[in-house]
Amino acid sequence: MRGGGRVLAVASMAAMLGMVPGRAPAADAGCGPAPEVRHRLEAASARHRVVFVPQPAPLASGRHFSLDITVCPRGGASLPLALRVDADMPAHRHGMNYRPTVRVLGEGRYRADGLLMHMPGRWRFSFELSADGRLDRLSHEVDVE
Amino acid sequence: MKACIARRLAGLLAAGLLAVAAALAAPPTPLTPTERARILGHGPWPPPAAVDAGNALAGREHAIALGQQLFFDPRLSPDGRLACASCHAPALAFSDGRARSMGRAELDRNAPSLWNAVHARWWDWDGAADSLWSQALHPLTDARELATSGAHLRTVVESDAQLACRWRQATGGPPPAEDEAMLVHTAKLLGAFVGSLVSARTPFDDFRDALGRGDAAAMVRYPAEARRGLQLFVGRARCHLCHAGPTFSNGEFADIGAGFFVRPGVVDPGRHRGIQRLQASRHSLLSVHADAPGDAATKTRHVQLQHRNFGEFKVPSLRNASATAPYLHDGRLATLADVVRHYDQIDLERLHADGERILEPLGLDAGERADLLAFLRSLEDPLARGWQPQPPAPCRQVPDRP
Repeated sequence: MRGGGRVLAVASMAAMLGMVPGRAPAADAGCGPAPEVRHRLEAASARHRVVFVPQPAPLASGRHFSLDITVCPRGGASLPLALRVDADMPAHRHGMNYRPTVRVLGEGRYRADGLLMHMPGRWRFSFELSADGRLDRLSHEVDVE
Repeated sequence: MKACIARRLAGLLAAGLLAVAAALAAPPTPLTPTERARILGHGPWPPPAAVDAGNALAGREHAIALGQQLFFDPRLSPDGRLACASCHAPALAFSDGRARSMGRAELDRNAPSLWNAVHARWWDWDGAADSLWSQALHPLTDARELATSGAHLRTVVESDAQLACRWRQATGGPPPAEDEAMLVHTAKLLGAFVGSLVSARTPFDDFRDALGRGDAAAMVRYPAEARRGLQLFVGRARCHLCHAGPTFSNGEFADIGAGFFVRPGVVDPGRHRGIQRLQASRHSLLSVHADAPGDAATKTRHVQLQHRNFGEFKVPSLRNASATAPYLHDGRLATLADVVRHYDQIDLERLHADGERILEPLGLDAGERADLLAFLRSLEDPLARGWQPQPPAPCRQVPDRP
């Protein structure tokens, strides 16, 4: 697969040591920015919700952008000890040419920098969360012009 | 028998003329909302101004003027034989018309046009440079190109009173005593000049803007064959996926099955080596030589080396492409028609793209190939081949900046 063996961005362990994982945004329904916030995107699994907003917005091909990310545990899960972010184009079978980095901001908030979607079309954001000794993989697809 | 053949030929000719007349008379196919959006995405032109990142001299009038003078000055090469303009001739849209450029020896790659280079993200066919000025260091110092040094450049500048005066005017001080700093300053002056080369509007731009404002009368002035070619470009041929935006390039790299043997047994790995060169460079936007690059260094910080980069080469801008034959990274395709034919009949077996699914044979007919060519020719700035350097103004001695 083109883009196979892709490297996902990982919040550094040094940053992880500085985070306070105990204070998660508790209310699942109130995760991250309010639903009416423009360009707010979301991915969900049984164990986590990931709400993310691109900066700058809206998403556009051919320019670097960041993601402001909020992770909310569900069903008794914990906040992730590590978060990886990536994006690919499933139909084209390739990923990005850039490896994003993730900073831990605390209280379930993260900032991913260095993303760039180099083609218009359908892209898939992927989030890999490591929590409670398990990996939780979430994705969300968007159409980018 | 002869009369029969003549009648048949006449019949064929008449049928052909009728077909041509019908095609010319036929109203253009209406644009779908998707086609319209994609076409509008190739503008406006000119785009917002850009400057050479990490180059404090970029955009400065005196630096651009001196950079232009240096660009055409063969004294920059120690034997006085080569200037930047030797491979980047204005009459050829700042390319050289050769498959592979000729420096002190034949090089491995084709000389790209410099028009609109400031709007690229990476430079060189393999993207080993992340700024115009750091790219300029490559031909300045390469043994097969200008093969110069900081010491030689300083001698050239200091031995010419006018040049020395313009240097002070442009940089605020004398030529640096340290050789590497002299090279970097010279490269930044060249970057300032090349960064000023933004081409003018084209017939496509007029059509695109007319489309945006719904000006049907202006839209019909765009040749019908170019419009059909444009619809193919953003439609079935999917050229817009890589040749995106106002420059008609997404600024990235692709394997198009062009082959990568420089000569028997010698491979050009393209982007794969380019990223390695970038990451080993002492002159990237992450280096001490970069002047406050800010967010422009994001690409350098985050670019990742991947196996699939092997055999990828830069997606070139298509503006003025009709003036820059031959084509591809090694000039292996002589004409734009050859380029269209390459994509039309692309051999997927030549791709080593880990299963990427973008390119596929297009199966165009002769008319469609001609339409694509007409569209590509409509991307040429009518003034681009006539560009002339401005003669330098006399310089009066200026005091060094404190």
